Amino acid sequence: MAYTTNANLVLRLQFWRAWLTLGALLVLFLALIGRAVYLQGYQKDFLREQGEARYYRVIKLEANRGTITDRNGNPLAISTPVQSIWASPSDMEPLHASQLALLSKALSVPLEELTRKLADTKRDFVYLKRQMNPDAAQRVLELRIPGIFKQTEYRRYYPAGEHMAHVIGYTDIDNKGQEGLELTRESMLAGKAGSRHVIRDRHGYIVEDVTGVEQPKDGQTLTLSIDQNIQYLAYRELKKAVEENGAKAGGIVVLDAKTGEVLALANMPSYNPNTRAKLDPARKRNRALTDVYEPGSTMKPFTAAAAIESGKFTPLTVINTAPGSMTIGPNTVHDAHPHGALTVEQVIQVSSNVGASKMALSLEREYLWEFFDSVGFGTPPHSGFPGETPGRLRPWKSWRPIEQATMSYGHGISVSLMQIARAYMIFATDGEIRPITFQKLVAPQPGRRVISAETAQALRKMLEMATQPGGTARKAQIVGYRVGGKTGTSHKLDGGSYVNKYVSSFVGMAPISDPRLIVAVMIDEPSAGKHFGGAVAAPVFSQVVAGSLRMLGVPPDAPTQNILLPEPDVPEIKEET
Amino acid sequence: MKMFYQALRRRPAMAGYDLALVWAVLILLAIGLIMVYSASIAAAEVDRDTGFRYSYFLTRHAAFLAVALLAGFAAFQIPIRLWQQYAPYLFLIGTALLILVLVPHVGREVNGSKRWLSLLVVNLQPSELMKFFVVLYAADYTVRKAAYMHSLLKGFFPMFLVMLLTGALLLAEPDFGALAVITAIAMGTLFLGGFDWRLFGGLIIMLVVGFVGLIYSSEYRYKRLIGFMNPWDDPYGKGYQLSHSLIAFGRGKWFGVGLGASVEKLSYLPEAHTDFLMAIIAEELGFAGVATVVVLFGWLTWRAFAIGMQAAKLERYYAALVAQGVGIWLGVQSIINIGVNMGVLPTKGLTLPLLSFGGSGIMANLIALGVLLRVDWENRQLMRGYTV
Repeated sequence: MAYTTNANLVLRLQFWRAWLTLGALLVLFLALIGRAVYLQGYQKDFLREQGEARYYRVIKLEANRGTITDRNGNPLAISTPVQSIWASPSDMEPLHASQLALLSKALSVPLEELTRKLADTKRDFVYLKRQMNPDAAQRVLELRIPGIFKQTEYRRYYPAGEHMAHVIGYTDIDNKGQEGLELTRESMLAGKAGSRHVIRDRHGYIVEDVTGVEQPKDGQTLTLSIDQNIQYLAYRELKKAVEENGAKAGGIVVLDAKTGEVLALANMPSYNPNTRAKLDPARKRNRALTDVYEPGSTMKPFTAAAAIESGKFTPLTVINTAPGSMTIGPNTVHDAHPHGALTVEQVIQVSSNVGASKMALSLEREYLWEFFDSVGFGTPPHSGFPGETPGRLRPWKSWRPIEQATMSYGHGISVSLMQIARAYMIFATDGEIRPITFQKLVAPQPGRRVISAETAQALRKMLEMATQPGGTARKAQIVGYRVGGKTGTSHKLDGGSYVNKYVSSFVGMAPISDPRLIVAVMIDEPSAGKHFGGAVAAPVFSQVVAGSLRMLGVPPDAPTQNILLPEPDVPEIKEET
Repeated sequence: MKMFYQALRRRPAMAGYDLALVWAVLILLAIGLIMVYSASIAAAEVDRDTGFRYSYFLTRHAAFLAVALLAGFAAFQIPIRLWQQYAPYLFLIGTALLILVLVPHVGREVNGSKRWLSLLVVNLQPSELMKFFVVLYAADYTVRKAAYMHSLLKGFFPMFLVMLLTGALLLAEPDFGALAVITAIAMGTLFLGGFDWRLFGGLIIMLVVGFVGLIYSSEYRYKRLIGFMNPWDDPYGKGYQLSHSLIAFGRGKWFGVGLGASVEKLSYLPEAHTDFLMAIIAEELGFAGVATVVVLFGWLTWRAFAIGMQAAKLERYYAALVAQGVGIWLGVQSIINIGVNMGVLPTKGLTLPLLSFGGSGIMANLIALGVLLRVDWENRQLMRGYTV
């Protein structure tokens, strides 16, 4: 072996090399420790934030929306738990075609829509299907596809459907009130959503709660003044009348005469709040509160009451209405049938425009205005409903005599059906008017006196007379109860002039001896031949009142053979306006 | 009298092996076992391949550890003389295995890399064994070529060719991590073996210049490489893994979120139980855990070099270079792995020695440590006047 190849002789491992190498490695180890100090001691806040952005979530816990019930506790709007299926595309791996097909089938969502929803992988929340029934949702989850979750939500269900649609309104898919009481009582019904602050793993499953769970506060139950049975009856009769008369629209309001509670309110056309896709906005209007019409002859009792209260008239004061018309300046007021001398009572009974005009013209403008104002015309009824109309009552200073005359029989003045129903309370309650309410009252709200009890009683007598032979509203009569009311038939205004379209209405109360109910019916544009309030609207009143009084268990105030029919040869009295 | 003092100096009786080193290794293995379990539970539970068994990785890791400890103990029994004798053959076997991996239908491909040979129940990763064989071979080569350590042609070039072949095989898999470690072992062993430091320096400079030139010559490579420096530019794309690793460090703060409480391991951080185990240690055990592991690895490296220098003093040059080669291996690999986890080095695909999940890696590590302890044992035997 040559000298140079003998390793043991040549190789002298130099220790500086080992120390240098070891030193370099140890320096690198130290550098790593330094880096760890930097990351874990100084950059930790930034890093934690970054981390939280990825797995920290706030989960909303839906509050159960309060139930709406009628005055007897029957549910009118209830929330049932449903499941919404959502996905987090950013956490999902691309699905196989077979998985997609299964998912599409389980969700009953078209494949293209599903693919599109899952395509945006930047998003971490997308609804795949809202509000499924819990069984169907469970079948979706059983596919065990990572990144797909369910969320409990509540779906609003309206058992009364179209019967109650305008009162209750409805909520949107996020459970926010959109119409009706669902909208106005939102804060009471909605409750307060709770939340969970959680950390989720990559597949979206909750790992832990970071802070305590904030429990949702459920909404309160709203008990309405509505009586479901009366409401059903009122809707059914209104619908029948609107359909039979080929009318464009209609409305009915049933008030508790003693408390001002709304027992029923219905409009035609209505809608089903449970399936309201493609809903015509016209159907959603709560016409009884939002729309005005000229009340026609249903105004006359107020004219008579104002006249009697003024002291210038008594119920038996005679007014000459011959020859059935009356000229005021360039205008003329007509009666449908000419009458001669009529008492104030008879003016109401036969609905004489001339008689009403003469009474109105004998009163000060200001006095008459104040009277109309005091029964609520021109101001919204404050029922707590959205979009209430105040109606139209022009300031007295601008009244011309002809206007003062026409207003006495309900033209040149506009009201909502709710306003006129409420105003009739002064006759029903011996002179007091109360606020109306949709909420069930524990005790009646204090009333405000408008007319004396004697006047109110006198008017009740006149209203009863109007439903008896010789009156315009014989069809309002019912078995077992005495009723009173006033018909109204007004021409509609179209482009500033009256045309041959009508609004037929009837406002009445029963039992007349001690009124319990006030019912106001309005049929808009009846087109099937009949258009007088006595023929179109009064029958609705009688059906609804008869049924309602029985349901409420109100003792009859008349024998069962009480219906008075006219002599066969006496012509039926009809009013124009 | 003199013998009396020598007898005194020997007390307390010197152990037959480096107790502190053994403890460091055992502690690292224990930390590894616990953390692999902790880091893998969530992933194993949702993985079809594991049969949704949460303890899948724990049981396998424990089994690997048992086998690898036996293998290490067996390696400890084999005299260094024999390792030196068979080093070239082992190196050839390693090369053959690396070729076999690339043969279609023989090598198993995972995540786009062909690194594994399927052996019925387990997969063998030849590149892990190759690291050990390179330690043995480079030491043998350096000792044999001791006379040419001043010559580029005769001293460096043959090794360079061998490394070029090995490197090509590793790049074909590809396994950049193993290539980096093997290059470090080979170059380090040459340097430690006395290769002319001026030539060595020149080579290093050339390497660096070439590397930098390569990077700057292509915008793609440049972007790819510096991508790791700014994971927050594209945290949901290229920077995804690294940004999650860094978040894990940040969440851990000084003392960690607690064992088992990591969020990153919940499928956010890929490879949490293998390449990015350190991030989970950092999150659950905090800086304290990180520092412990780093210090243990530093200690391990230190002991390997100390044993090597002791062997050199005893003029056992092959043993010295093997011991230091093991030190370079474990030191460099742990530094790279931890550096990758901390975002100071580009992602390589290297495991953390002794800790990360992976049978071949732990097996190779423990065999190497068995040999290191054998070197130490032989040193002690010689110092006591025995022969080996």
